Amino acid sequence: MKTVIVVHGGAWAIPDELAEASVAGVKNAVRAGDTVLKNGGSALDAVEKAVRSLEDDPTFDAGHGAVLNIDGEVELDSIIMDGETLAAGAVACVRNIANPVSLARAVMEKTDHVMLTDRGASMFAERIGTPVAHDLVTEPERKEWEHCKSYHAGVKMLFNTQWGHDTVGAVALDSFGNVACATSTGGIRNKMVGRVGDSPIIGSGGYADNRSGAVSCTGHGESILKVTLARLILFHMEQGDSSTAAAAASLQYMCERVKGCGGAVVLSSSGDWAASFTTPRMAWASIKEDVLHYGLNPKEEFTEMPK
Amino acid sequence: MLPVVVVHGGAGHIPKERAELSTIGVKEAARTGYAILQKGGSAMDAVVEAVTSMENNPRFNAGRGSVLNMKGEIEMDAIVMDGKSLASGAVSAVRSVANPVQLARLVMEKTNHLCLTAEGASKFARSMGVPEVPEESLITDYAKMRWKKNLDPDANPVECQMGKMGTVGAVAVDIDGNIACATSTGGMINKMEGRVGDTPCVGCGGYADNKIGAVSPTGHGEAIMKVTLSRLVLFHMEQGKTPEEASDLALAYMKERVEGLGGVVVVDPKGTWAARFSSLQMSWAAAQQGELHFGLYHGEDFVEPVQEHT
Repeated sequence: MKTVIVVHGGAWAIPDELAEASVAGVKNAVRAGDTVLKNGGSALDAVEKAVRSLEDDPTFDAGHGAVLNIDGEVELDSIIMDGETLAAGAVACVRNIANPVSLARAVMEKTDHVMLTDRGASMFAERIGTPVAHDLVTEPERKEWEHCKSYHAGVKMLFNTQWGHDTVGAVALDSFGNVACATSTGGIRNKMVGRVGDSPIIGSGGYADNRSGAVSCTGHGESILKVTLARLILFHMEQGDSSTAAAAASLQYMCERVKGCGGAVVLSSSGDWAASFTTPRMAWASIKEDVLHYGLNPKEEFTEMPK
Repeated sequence: MLPVVVVHGGAGHIPKERAELSTIGVKEAARTGYAILQKGGSAMDAVVEAVTSMENNPRFNAGRGSVLNMKGEIEMDAIVMDGKSLASGAVSAVRSVANPVQLARLVMEKTNHLCLTAEGASKFARSMGVPEVPEESLITDYAKMRWKKNLDPDANPVECQMGKMGTVGAVAVDIDGNIACATSTGGMINKMEGRVGDTPCVGCGGYADNKIGAVSPTGHGEAIMKVTLSRLVLFHMEQGKTPEEASDLALAYMKERVEGLGGVVVVDPKGTWAARFSSLQMSWAAAQQGELHFGLYHGEDFVEPVQEHT
């Protein structure tokens, strides 16, 4: 079976000064995931690897570089799902962990549960020996947060709506025909303490099922939750839609029904993939049969052939 | 056919003497919700009040009477959803509030968010003036006994979990055709601290859409999550299935695909309702057209006038 991997670095109004770094980041991540697949690794291994790479890159709102909540702290959400068994693991509102996606995977593999939150998630992390990270807050994010704080409420809302959405994620299909997805985020800037967005919620932030495909979502979290975007896209695919058509129909529905913008990377079990968004930009990259595709602006697709 | 409210007090297998008390509780909850609907109240008011009544009833695993986690503490999850706007509110792993379902509604109505968790949810509760109740007031002797029993290394909490009816929930359609759902739970017995089940996850522990209907599920939370049970039932209804057919298809799929048992209460916009389950029992009650339907085992559908008080 031919392997495929697609990653995103968040759907939002990515400013020009972050454009280059965002594209470079998703390209690095997709290559990291592709290497795993090439070496016979599983789709789960590949999406975890790709998302870890995005979490480690301070350009993105996940792991290092995550946005700050109203108290100036980082709280992270993540999910991972195995399309073969429908097993999933998620963490919500976890602090001081560099790679929430790996903790989510541990929840899936080492507990009877699907989701752990807040202190319980931290205690579990400690028990399995996850290193504590105290350097997740970047200087640019601290400045942005302070800048935001000085705005009056109305402007802050607008700011949040336009700027806060750079969740990262990946979907992959491995050589055994299994699909997987992973999503990770710092959420939205100035969120309330304890706010859980779509990312760790199964069916919203991500879903993977060998019988249809895999999806990782990004965008306005509350809107994604209201329409359970990941599962909605896969329902359309179960009805025979292509990845592209399913993503377009679902994102359009989200716009119409709850006035929310977002994006998704989508992969069918047969390897048909899409990277779609209704926000001004979304950094994305894919590798299928050694060919790397990537883009940032609507209807943009660059191709790099293998060297 | 409108208004209608359908409630459940959890799926599982429970001893006979406790089953009867559970049936009394769901009937009372359905009457509470129905009284609101008959006075022209909203579906949201009806489901929240019905669930509040079961949270306050120590026979159910929600609010007072919730099961204890591994450390002997209570952490609760709840969700509400409004089918008109798809607005939803949820709390997860929240402590020391008597009615998590009401806190979930406040999240929906007073914040820009959908879900608040753990300490953040408590902080929000305080800011809203929701009274903090001592944890001991939520813990029943029965919950304590079952917690101790399951500390034994040989215990099987997943199996024993069913020894008490699980999650509670309600769905309703009001006279204006608006639809809502609400679900509340203490979760799984002897769960890890911070474990979040299906209940506060939109599409898993509940979903409501005026265009399709509403679902509140109960059962093995992790299995419900893996198949996003509520959204799955509604998806089948979008494809033209009746609430009963859709429920049976989704529950059969959950059993086949992830070996999970559970149950659902479902309504559609016309007021057609279903209470279906793959577990041995599910206590449920439905009120519609002046009649109260209720049951516990498969095939049961007892009917009495709604007004009659036991």
